[in-house]
Amino acid sequence: MKYKSQKIAWYFFAACMGLFLLQLVYGFIMGFAHMGMDGLHDIIPFNAASATHKNLLVVWLLAGFMGAAYWIIPEESGRELWSIKLAWVQLASLLLVGVTAVIGFHLNWWEGRKFLEIPRELDFLVVVNVLAFLFNLLMTIWKGKRITTTASVLFFGLLSAALLYLPGMITFDNIVFDSFFRWWVVHLWVEGVWELIMGAIMSYLLIKLTGVDREVIEKWLYIIVGFTFLSGILGTGHHYYYTGAPGYWLMIGGIFSALEPLAFLGMAMYAIAMARKGGRKHPNKIALTWTIGCAVMSFVGAGFLGFAHTLPSVNMYTHGTLITGMHGHMAFWGAYAMLILAMIAYVLPQVTGRKRYTDWKAEWAFWTSNIGMTGMVGAFAVMGVVQVYLERKGGMDFLEVQEQLHVHAAGLVIAAALFTMGIVLFFMNFCSYGMPNDETLGQED
Amino acid sequence: MLTKSAAKAFFLGGTVICAAAFVFLTVDTIAQFPDRSHEENMTPEVIHGFEIWTENNCMGCHTLMGEGAYYAPELTQVFRRRGEAWMTEFLKDPQAFYPNRRKMVQYDFYDAKKVGKEEAAKNIADTIAFFNWVGDIDLNGFTGDPNNGPEQDIEKAAAKAAAPTAAASASVDQLATLRSLNAVCAGCHTIGGGALVGPDLAGVANRFDAKYLTKWIQEPSTIKADTTMPNLGLGDAQVKELVDFLLTLK
Ligand code: HEM
Ligand code: HEM
Ligand SMILES: [Fe+2]
Repeated sequence: MKYKSQKIAWYFFAACMGLFLLQLVYGFIMGFAHMGMDGLHDIIPFNAASATHKNLLVVWLLAGFMGAAYWIIPEESGRELWSIKLAWVQLASLLLVGVTAVIGFHLNWWEGRKFLEIPRELDFLVVVNVLAFLFNLLMTIWKGKRITTTASVLFFGLLSAALLYLPGMITFDNIVFDSFFRWWVVHLWVEGVWELIMGAIMSYLLIKLTGVDREVIEKWLYIIVGFTFLSGILGTGHHYYYTGAPGYWLMIGGIFSALEPLAFLGMAMYAIAMARKGGRKHPNKIALTWTIGCAVMSFVGAGFLGFAHTLPSVNMYTHGTLITGMHGHMAFWGAYAMLILAMIAYVLPQVTGRKRYTDWKAEWAFWTSNIGMTGMVGAFAVMGVVQVYLERKGGMDFLEVQEQLHVHAAGLVIAAALFTMGIVLFFMNFCSYGMPNDETLGQED
Repeated sequence: MLTKSAAKAFFLGGTVICAAAFVFLTVDTIAQFPDRSHEENMTPEVIHGFEIWTENNCMGCHTLMGEGAYYAPELTQVFRRRGEAWMTEFLKDPQAFYPNRRKMVQYDFYDAKKVGKEEAAKNIADTIAFFNWVGDIDLNGFTGDPNNGPEQDIEKAAAKAAAPTAAASASVDQLATLRSLNAVCAGCHTIGGGALVGPDLAGVANRFDAKYLTKWIQEPSTIKADTTMPNLGLGDAQVKELVDFLLTLK
């Protein structure tokens, strides 16, 4: 850890851990409901659980990005963070907004807009919060010694993510408009600017962990995010096939979204190639494992499973079925959840001053969670395929099909239990490092 | 080999071109939305129905136009599938329609006892108006629902029933009433298609007489206290017509 103010990252990561575990609780509520065990229906109906599950995911990933940025930007800029106080205020208010939103969901205070259920009133607080965050970063970069490609891609990604939140705040009374602009946020985030953030964080990790020359890594960073935007922007069309938009989106969305996996494939190949090429044997092996794992699983979840239902002729049948749930889990897990966990794994030994790099808990956390998630995605896949065939092709009634799926939902819950064990191990490992301190202050990693 | 500045140019160039194309297509798409979604039919009732839809996060369980969660049925074509009569009855007390199955939230604003008869009726009617409007949006062929079972059922059953018995040669008018009622009944019953929530009604005329059937439809719970069949609150004329039809199902 080079600068004192980088310690703030740990507190953001601690918030991530808490929100993530809570997210999983709501996942189980929904998993059991899919099994036919909906005993909580009167207190936490399915829609409350699903809004909470999805929003906690978004909030903890954002907290993770912020923590990562507060760690990376000072180091890349060569100075302390501009204002540590502002960062604290910003963390506290982020948590406040998140917790208020979650409580609101249980009291029917929300908007029926998937992933953006947070009510408009709170949206404004989110905007202020993110502005404070970006301002803090900008001042740090501005007053810093240098501006690296990694830092500018990271900042540009975060800034665009903030700007793209705005179209989601416009109110429409026509659902077709509402849905159209909701995708400006959701799709252009996960298949656009978040990939920039991912590319930048991954570059940072690869530079540190493999010792490959910065110039080489950053060159590839440009190529990969170039492919991301080349395919991802017009790829938004894969959400416009059947939601009221004109027919030309079938072709445009089909072609460009079919190219999106290339960016993820590029990322995976690049991470593996750099790890092989790198002469440096960094002792933090588990951080490298998470980094490579993230690159590979994001290709599987977003690239491969995204491609599986992105062509209009397939999407006609899979649109709005559990097939989407299959893809959504692996994509978010591989690309973004694992990225944050990689960053945490990298930062942890430095920020706590403990030179302990591997441990059975850390290793088991990686494998158990990934095997568990693969099982969950398998269960979703079976449920989705059965649903498509019985309901969309065979014409069987929705609820009857869902009853056939109870047994597979049990499979989902069992795999989720394994996954959760992995995450709990990760959390235990996180706790075992103790609180952040200044022991490694001033040391370049 | 490619230099870093060439890579940067590739990134910036590609992004600018694609973003420009995207903005251009967005402008065109937005210009087409009013037509494609029949904005001319967006009455205040429809808009109010949409407000009910978002304010209560119905999308947290259902999908509409294929978007939402996967716990409850796809609703894009629900108006065509079920019709107004069925939906009106259903929304009053959703759990009564699918006992022991997945539960829908029982909303106060649809409950005459909680918000008054008029208010509840308006909320239900506006919700249905919204679904009716959504069903007409041009979705490039997506319906999310190849199963139009109930409607086909009545055609077949009415044809079969009407053919052999002269008494049941229902007038066109009658058939229309029956069809609208059928949309209600077919949520739970079939005629010759096996038991769903309620029993198969094929041959029901062999099992019960007019008096029993009338009483049953008017007030199911007086005959069987724990029955899951709701009181549909039909008028006497409708009940009679319905019983006449049921008596043809031999
Ligand atoms: C890390 C990147 C990605 C993440 C986190 C992600 C996540 C998701 C999520 C959560 C949904 C459901 C959205 C909703 O219904 O509200 C979704 C839908 C979809 N995704 Fe992705 N995705 C990613 C990348 C991709 C890629 C690269 C492709 C194509 C190759 C793709 C294809 C699709 C398609 C076609 C749908 C629409 C499914 C439907 O019709 O219901 N995704 N994605
Ligand atoms: C204990 C583990 C988990 C369980 C049991 C679980 C279960 C579920 C269930 C049942 C749904 C709702 C499907 C529906 O709409 O009917 C859901 C939605 C979702 N979950 Fe999870 N989940 C878990 C963990 C996760 C994790 C770790 C992530 C992300 C990294 C995640 C991301 C999502 C997303 C994005 C959706 C929305 C998907 C869509 O609608 O397409 N979940 N989850
Ligand atoms: Fe997408």
